[in-house]
Amino acid sequence: MGLRPIFSSLLRNSAGALLVAIQIALTLAIVVNAVFVTSERLTKMGRPSGLDDQNQFAMSVTGFEKNFDFFAMVRADMAMLRDMPGVVDASPINQIPLSGGGSSTMFYSLPDKKGENSPVAYYNTDDHAVKALGVKLAGGRNFAATDVVYRPKDVQGFPGTAVVTRAFAEALFPKDKDKLVGKTFYDDQSKPLVIVGVIEQMHGAWVGWDKVDRVMLSPLVGPGPGVRYLIRTQPGQLDAVMTAVESALRKRDPNRVVGKLRTVQNFKQSSYASDSLTAVTLSVVTGLVLIFSALGIFGLATFNVNTRTRQIGTRRAVGARKRDIVSYFMAENWMVTSLGVLVGCILALAVGYWLSNQFGLPRLNLYFLVGGVAGLWVLGQLAAWQPALRAAKVSPAMATRSV
Amino acid sequence: MFAYYLRLAVQSFRRNPGLTALMVMAIALGISVCMVTLTSYRAAARIPLPHKNEMLYAPNIDSWDPKEPYDKDKALNAPDLQTYRDARGLYASTIPDRKLIMFKAGGVLSGGKNMQPEYVAARMTTGDFFPMFETPFLYGGGWNAKADEGPEPVVVLSKETNEKAFGGANSVGKTLLWHDREFRVVGVLNDWEPAPKFYDVSNGSFDDPEQIYVPFTWGQILELGSDGNTNCWKTEDIKSYQDFLNSECIWFESWVELRTPEKVVAYRKFLDDYVIDQKSKGRFARPLNNYLYTIEGWMQRNNVVGTDNKAMLIMAFAFLAVCLVNTVGLLLAKFLNAAPIAGVRRALGASRRDIFWQHLTESGVIAVTGGIAGGLLGVAGVWALRSWYGRFVQDLERALPVDYSTFVIAVVISLVAGIIAGLYPAWRIGRAAPASYLKVQ
Repeated sequence: MGLRPIFSSLLRNSAGALLVAIQIALTLAIVVNAVFVTSERLTKMGRPSGLDDQNQFAMSVTGFEKNFDFFAMVRADMAMLRDMPGVVDASPINQIPLSGGGSSTMFYSLPDKKGENSPVAYYNTDDHAVKALGVKLAGGRNFAATDVVYRPKDVQGFPGTAVVTRAFAEALFPKDKDKLVGKTFYDDQSKPLVIVGVIEQMHGAWVGWDKVDRVMLSPLVGPGPGVRYLIRTQPGQLDAVMTAVESALRKRDPNRVVGKLRTVQNFKQSSYASDSLTAVTLSVVTGLVLIFSALGIFGLATFNVNTRTRQIGTRRAVGARKRDIVSYFMAENWMVTSLGVLVGCILALAVGYWLSNQFGLPRLNLYFLVGGVAGLWVLGQLAAWQPALRAAKVSPAMATRSV
Repeated sequence: MFAYYLRLAVQSFRRNPGLTALMVMAIALGISVCMVTLTSYRAAARIPLPHKNEMLYAPNIDSWDPKEPYDKDKALNAPDLQTYRDARGLYASTIPDRKLIMFKAGGVLSGGKNMQPEYVAARMTTGDFFPMFETPFLYGGGWNAKADEGPEPVVVLSKETNEKAFGGANSVGKTLLWHDREFRVVGVLNDWEPAPKFYDVSNGSFDDPEQIYVPFTWGQILELGSDGNTNCWKTEDIKSYQDFLNSECIWFESWVELRTPEKVVAYRKFLDDYVIDQKSKGRFARPLNNYLYTIEGWMQRNNVVGTDNKAMLIMAFAFLAVCLVNTVGLLLAKFLNAAPIAGVRRALGASRRDIFWQHLTESGVIAVTGGIAGGLLGVAGVWALRSWYGRFVQDLERALPVDYSTFVIAVVISLVAGIIAGLYPAWRIGRAAPASYLKVQ
């Protein structure tokens, strides 16, 4: 059976078919772009942070009394916290990774702002940080207790040793990727810092920053009066340890302000909140669009069958087999879907181009378009399947009977 | 006649309840998705103090690095914050009717009657802050220019802080300790939740307002740094707090109130003159790049609405379009299915126009039903979004209020959309020749 008669019959009854085609075109344009953006966001959210972020929490601690001794407080608190059951390790730190708050600065591979340069998010902390953060050292060593500088006055400059992420070290020394430990780099005052350890991978302060994996730990505590404590617990003990730590800190010294305890997981979720909101909304829209398109195709196919019972009966009476009737409707549907898909491809590319131009989203990946086209073809055929089967059941006697 | 059409419509719905439900659902879901995205868009795009939009201005001047712009993606923008010297320099102008400079600091507050010491965020600002931003006062008021100069040890508390410190009583005249210094309460704000927090977008457009307000000059006396963003570009040897104040680091924000267009012109000229004068002193090496933003312009410059919000709104309306095309197709199918009935009505004397209006009424009823269902679904959606989002974003009522006017918009949109969707099918059915349907019957 040729497609020509189907096509000319379509042309005579074009309104319904055209509506289905428009719907399919719009659906393709929406779904392809929505799925693309969603997958982008899910990839971003699924990146490993490098931290043991499921088992960590943090809070701020601030002293305010007149003769308050900041370093005595930090030392006593740390001694107590590290001894508590369920605690893996704890560290004083100026900001919490993944929280969206932090500091960054610029470093150079040579003095006088020469050579390669790179910005880095830095954390002022102590020799327990590597363990408290749960990051993996790829090379070199952790800070020694003697590396840590307890600085009472707010002056510029970092101590002379640093533990840095591989991403940051490689940005400064792209040619020496296998001997990063021991390299010296410089701040904007040409003060040297030595890389003593390299962290395999770790995320810093801002998850939306394209250099989120450039991080430096600096062995610096002070000057106070405020600091944050980062505490890592044994797996599964987070809640119990949080309750215990809160009361232990207040009990040890009630004369300071202990801020609200927040899990690192919570910081992470709120940093990714807008990404997950976008992903959820777009997934819901995608699902709904697909369901409605399928229902629309189904509804119109049913309608087509209903209005053509006499025609189908006549065809059956003059010798068409059930198979012919099914394939007639499937072919008709396929033609309409194809028209929709063709227009939809152009529309999807236009929308994708416009989104990336207007809103700085990444350019649409063409695999998604191919997948969308295949998916809609299948969806269109599935939705028309049941009405086509019903059409095949029309008895040849319908040809002579009135409706 | 309309009532008769309504009755006919109900009869028609009874004939195909499944198809009718599908159409109502299509419209309802399309509308509800639009409503949820529209709510979050409108919440972000709302302009606080709309009646002062043409009066309040944020000046921006470009003190940044001669070698590269402040924002590489938007090279024409000047930095959103100012150095201490420039903030003071702009504040010295006598052109504005009102003016303020400010930054965000923090410190431990203690000494209230029943207060646990607490680390509070403080807005270090000048007295005009309160009348310029029309903050509502529960007790007392702001402070005057004399208190700014002194500076006098005065403080304005937020309602919440007053509740913590004094159990909500009138605390004007009482004292509190902040940074170990006594401050006298001169005013307590009532609930004041500017959303978006337009005057401090660099630190988060939906952050909470600060818990206390303290005269600006105390910042320098207490040697306070910023609790928000501080950005520096220049290599400077900073040894003391004074060095820091004199550096090219930016962390201050200015606002001015200019009530007449003449003052706006004069102030623009003042900004240019100021920068040209600074250029002669070897600063401001970048091209003359001064801006005076209204509140609305300031929010746009800082992209408060967010690109995701805009893209999502467009996606939602595209989804509504799919739903509508779907409804047009289903209506067409439904009407043509019932064509014999229309044929009989035509034969009995109904005009084409009657048939058209009858069917348009039917689609209108579907649209309104869908619109109301969609509106309810949308409200439920906003609530769901809030409870889901609220786990890690505080104070969501402010960031995402359920705005019931959006509900009305939803119903109106769906009515209009439903009528548009019904136009073609209703017209088509009205044109069908009655004879062909009568013949077979």
